[in-house]
Amino acid sequence: MAVRFPSLEFFQALKQRTVDDKARFEKLGYCDTAFGVRIGAELYGVAFEVYECTRVWRAADAGELDFVLEAPPELWREMVAAILRNKGADAAHTLNTLTHVGDRMKLVAQDAEGEDKYYRFMASLQEFFDQAHNLQLEIA
Amino acid sequence: MAYIAPKDYAADPEVVAKILRTVSGQLELDWMKRVGEPAAYRPSQAARGLTLDDINQGGYAPDKLPEVIRHNFSMAPRGALLPPGLPSLGYRVNRKSDVWADVAPRLFEEAKSRRWAPARDVPWNALVPLPHDERHELALRQLATGLISIGLVATDVAASWEWRMNQEFHEIKYLLCAQMFDAARISEAFRKRALFGGGSLGVDSRPLGELLKSIFLSDTYPEASAAMNLTLFSVVQALGRHWAATASNPADTYLGTQLAQDATRFVSYGVDHVRSHLRARPQQAETLGEHLDLVENALVGVLGAPETIEPLVLVSGGFAPVAGFYARTLDQYFRRCAAAGLGDRRDASALTPFLRMLEGDAS
Repeated sequence: MAVRFPSLEFFQALKQRTVDDKARFEKLGYCDTAFGVRIGAELYGVAFEVYECTRVWRAADAGELDFVLEAPPELWREMVAAILRNKGADAAHTLNTLTHVGDRMKLVAQDAEGEDKYYRFMASLQEFFDQAHNLQLEIA
Repeated sequence: MAYIAPKDYAADPEVVAKILRTVSGQLELDWMKRVGEPAAYRPSQAARGLTLDDINQGGYAPDKLPEVIRHNFSMAPRGALLPPGLPSLGYRVNRKSDVWADVAPRLFEEAKSRRWAPARDVPWNALVPLPHDERHELALRQLATGLISIGLVATDVAASWEWRMNQEFHEIKYLLCAQMFDAARISEAFRKRALFGGGSLGVDSRPLGELLKSIFLSDTYPEASAAMNLTLFSVVQALGRHWAATASNPADTYLGTQLAQDATRFVSYGVDHVRSHLRARPQQAETLGEHLDLVENALVGVLGAPETIEPLVLVSGGFAPVAGFYARTLDQYFRRCAAAGLGDRRDASALTPFLRMLEGDAS
């Protein structure tokens, strides 16, 4: 059954991928952060511990998160479509490119250290989103 | 001259007599004493395994360390019983707040867990055929040449302080060893990148040499740490992100991402270390600030040097993206300085007029 993007179910399915493709995440190393994904008005929380995503939730308070990735829904849809098309983000649609070139996606953090967690674990976070290509998705 | 132990062990009658007693089965067992407070010393999370933080419990915890180490200048590990007469190894860095950061044990574990091998993990074949024009490639090789120097000197900086630190701070010494390995890998990876498939190194940069020398010759470890971990590696991290963001192929995306990740561990230690140092000794803020004034002045030389800025213009598609990249990089750097307790450095820093000059040209 197709999973709708964006939705909490989408993030739950990605969470399961960190278990199903455990070896890939273990190869990337420890990843310890709780971050947010803001898609328009919706804020989703994603927590990683050791190698796995351990929790996803609808977040109310960005203050409990190390950092939040913020972008309008159209950009998130464009990113996910690129991941499906290329079986992983192409260079123009990695989280790094989107947050770095022209700030199309905003990286918002309460402090410098929260922001640096994004950079410390960037490859694991990219892999998390790249796993979307294994899902049957309905992009809304 | 080599150190000569004060006793000739092979000829000492007392030593020989003891060995003979042991050989005959008479064991003294004086060493068989339990030291330290008992604690679990087990993995707190099975998937993570047994970490330094798991064994830093009870009497072995670093929070039991005094601010100034006066009881142990030998090779004895922290928490061991110290018999009389241990030789001093002459450690010069003996103050906890000069080295400590609570995040250090975790960063050491993370450095090992997030390891990678340039030989096999970089998809080198993505560079065949060359996925961009020759000028773009020459620009990348020039930037890679600078990164090779940075990696080598960062290895030297960590090495030059590691052996001077008291053994009681073993977590920090471990982390500096990991930094040496991480820095060596930066140097290795970007040397391979520059030379891959008939490539070449670029020209060395005098301003970069001046910056690296100002870090290498820092008078104290806190000054060296602030200059290298906070200042230099803020720029290295940003270069990694820029390298990945402007990549035309998976090999460069991978190299840039890994560079940014590895560099951020230096930055994270730098922020936490400087903050711990200034909490314990706030009067040092002025000294560190003065040192960073000199380092930031040298950084202006690097960022403005043709061998840095021109390759960046070529890979970024113009001057305006580079001005934006510098502005974001230095804004993040100044915020890290503030988080570390160094206050707002923007007004005093030589980097600020440099940025204004670039903004004027970019607009």
